[in-house]
Amino acid sequence: MDILSTIFKGFRWQDIADIALNSYILFRLYALFRGTNVFRIITGIVLLWILQQVAVWLGLIVTSWVLQGIIAVAALIIIVVFRNEIRSVLQAQNLRAILWGTPFRLASAPTEDIVDAVFSLARQSIGALMVLQVKESLDDVAQGGVTLGAQLSSELLASLFWTGAPLHDGAVIINGDRIERAGVILPLSQDNDMPQEYGTRHRAAIGLSEMTDALVIVVSEERGEVGVAVGGQIYEAPDRTVLSQLLMAHGIGAATSGQRETAETIRMGFSAVFSIVVVAMVWFTFSRGLESIVTVDAPIEYIKRNPDVEIIKASINTVSLSLGGSGPLLRNLHPDQVKVRLDLGGASAGVNAISVTSDNISLPPGVVLKHVQPDVVEVTIDQPVEKELPIQIDWGGTLPPDVMITGATVAPPTSRVKGGYQLLQQVQTLYTEKIILDRLDPSGTVIAKLVPYPASVRVAPGAPDRVEIQFTVAPREGGDNGADTAGDSPDR
Amino acid sequence: MPKASAVVFSVTIGRVSCFTAFDPVPRKTMIQHQWYFRDQLITTKRLHLRPPKWATYSSIQPRQADVGPWRVDVIDPEGNVIRSLRFSIVQ
Repeated sequence: MDILSTIFKGFRWQDIADIALNSYILFRLYALFRGTNVFRIITGIVLLWILQQVAVWLGLIVTSWVLQGIIAVAALIIIVVFRNEIRSVLQAQNLRAILWGTPFRLASAPTEDIVDAVFSLARQSIGALMVLQVKESLDDVAQGGVTLGAQLSSELLASLFWTGAPLHDGAVIINGDRIERAGVILPLSQDNDMPQEYGTRHRAAIGLSEMTDALVIVVSEERGEVGVAVGGQIYEAPDRTVLSQLLMAHGIGAATSGQRETAETIRMGFSAVFSIVVVAMVWFTFSRGLESIVTVDAPIEYIKRNPDVEIIKASINTVSLSLGGSGPLLRNLHPDQVKVRLDLGGASAGVNAISVTSDNISLPPGVVLKHVQPDVVEVTIDQPVEKELPIQIDWGGTLPPDVMITGATVAPPTSRVKGGYQLLQQVQTLYTEKIILDRLDPSGTVIAKLVPYPASVRVAPGAPDRVEIQFTVAPREGGDNGADTAGDSPDR
Repeated sequence: MPKASAVVFSVTIGRVSCFTAFDPVPRKTMIQHQWYFRDQLITTKRLHLRPPKWATYSSIQPRQADVGPWRVDVIDPEGNVIRSLRFSIVQ
């Protein structure tokens, strides 16, 4: 149970979608390309990829590079070399068939009609060449001819080979229960080790069966003999029974439509389950097998419910997070995806110890928190208050040597400021902006703005933020009084 | 009585004093002059008062770094602020 809980910990809906989608893609590729050369090459590439992963795991650097290169080139080769085969698979079916359709070949060849036609022709010593297409496309190898697309019948099939018929010289291509093309030219076998009695017709039958999975029935014109070419070999069919058996042995007309459908459904179901298992294994290998841990320094964000609350001090600004997850996820982890948010909603004025838990930490799906260091932050909070402060003139500039400012009044003498309680404890005076002595107004009156200090302190809403200063300028009296630092005297 | 009583003093003046006079002074007691520069306490001077009335003062010798607003709080023996005197040291 522990192992299961470890494996499925942090399992997300995205992971299920990931497995399902890739399983479906694998299943559809199998359904569309099975039995074709493309499928065989893809299987080879997958095996190469597995070898490359093993090489990486074993630390065989050059081997893994070489295999990686071969895989990349092989993928290109597939597309270039088998473009026609891929195209025929994709073009032959509409989008719905590609995405969902089951590639059942329900229309099986009517073997009785074929056998009737074959032996009818054999009896009359009429030569014939019939190609029964299985899975692979014949577009690239069987050339020429006339497209018929006609429903197969023994009479039509036999008539195509009658001497004098325009298409009797070539081969007939049968796909399911239809005669697709007639008068087709087949590639000749290059094999020189053939019986002497085999003519061009037999050589063509063997040639096509060497290159594709098609089954070719050949009727000898001279001897009236029937042969079946499969996989580069010719099998004699002296009577109807043998020919029927040969056809059935290669899956042509072997069973009823219902039986074929059942068998095909079982096969496809097995393929679907196999696809899910394979993809799930690959997924778990990547996401769970390569579990790793990284340490991230994440900045702390404070959520203030009350915008007036001031954070005076925090013991730390970042926390060190140990995060676990799959290697690819952690390698692609962006700092913006890790957020530490501490809610100050329950904090009060003064020092607050706030725990940093997984509830405060936002992580991307699939990444789990292992450890936080430190797990407590001390935050000093200040609540906003208003305070009445006396206003003092902040004189600046240079005092002319011959004058004195003997008195100054401020109206109003006080104003209210707003700021943090602890901060305002230290603030006793509200100063005006600098009143520059070098350019004093001779009227003795000046309007000045109030400049709260420090910057976080503001003049309270509704309180005066300007004051009127009235000052008195007098000529300087001469001489220093010569007083000590501190002194006293009876005032008599 | 103090000479050149003002609210703005040049830093070149050499000395700035705060004079306080009390009348009456019922008994011998003590006051404090607390000198603040921009609300920061710089120095505290303890001064004696004697009956029947008494005048007393404390001084500072400002330097360039002392240019800015100043305040002297006059504190009674119970720690109450009797009066705040505000002035500026300028260039």
